[in-house]
Amino acid sequence: MSSLFEYDKDREAASAAKVRALEALLIKKGVLGSDSVDAVLRHFETVAGPFNGARIVARAWVDPEYKARLLDDTPKAIAELQFPGMTGAEGEHMKAVANSPTVHNLIICTLCSCYPWPVLGLPPYWYKDPVFRSRGVREPRAVLREFGVTIPADKEVKVWDSSAQIRWFVIPERPAHSEHLNEAQLAALITPEAMMGVALVPSAPRA
Amino acid sequence: MFTRFEEYAATQMLGQPDSPPRSEGKLFFSDDWQRTVFGLALALSKEGHFEWEDFRHKLIHAIAAWEEKACTGQATWDYYEHYTQALIDILNQCGLLKPGELEQQMRPDDASK
Repeated sequence: MSSLFEYDKDREAASAAKVRALEALLIKKGVLGSDSVDAVLRHFETVAGPFNGARIVARAWVDPEYKARLLDDTPKAIAELQFPGMTGAEGEHMKAVANSPTVHNLIICTLCSCYPWPVLGLPPYWYKDPVFRSRGVREPRAVLREFGVTIPADKEVKVWDSSAQIRWFVIPERPAHSEHLNEAQLAALITPEAMMGVALVPSAPRA
Repeated sequence: MFTRFEEYAATQMLGQPDSPPRSEGKLFFSDDWQRTVFGLALALSKEGHFEWEDFRHKLIHAIAAWEEKACTGQATWDYYEHYTQALIDILNQCGLLKPGELEQQMRPDDASK
């Protein structure tokens, strides 16, 4: 069908019309509920994703007691924040580790199932790459350098291999000069990569 | 180990030829129809109308067919165009779509819509 349309704009319009018709037809036939599609998408957009992890980390940055609880019993501390999608098994098996002036943490795993989905969302494509994992174990500093993160020689690098039992995520270090930012502004600085340990949180812009 | 179909389904695609476009760890849709069709396939499979792996098989096949055309006569890459076609194929296969039904639905003069 696409060959009928010479321009990308026409292809886009044709695809959009096709999808609209498909959805309308399936709803008309009673195959699909009128809100089924939105319900599924909501999972990715508001229930499970890196926005949850960012909120957890920002809270840990502003509240040292919360940070201590998060490191001590991660699922329990996450439950305190009452995320809609993280009841029961969704929040289980997670464990936070904190970066500090003396330690940098890196999270790896070959098995795609071992990723803290509810807090980080979709893993990046390279996360499943066996090369990333084996090199992450063997030469984490070299892998980190390739990601643009140079760890000083006197700073320890710890590598955490996720499994079905434990899914790790990193509490990055709070950036310098971020005292003027509130919790929501801090959360906006935090990326999934930072919570995997392959990126740092950049210094906040000065007020 | 997954407790949510959505996570299982999206994760099966990672690092595979049918991996969906992403940005900053999130799914990336350049237009609303892409978001809709992504959700359509997931919702239908979640409700048990077809196996997710069967849908993926059609999607991978559609992508491979595009790649084989190389540069000559190859339309520019559009992941969700292949995704849409794969969904239509699987719906035809499992009988949820009858031949000609979608075309009829798309006709602007069809008053029954």
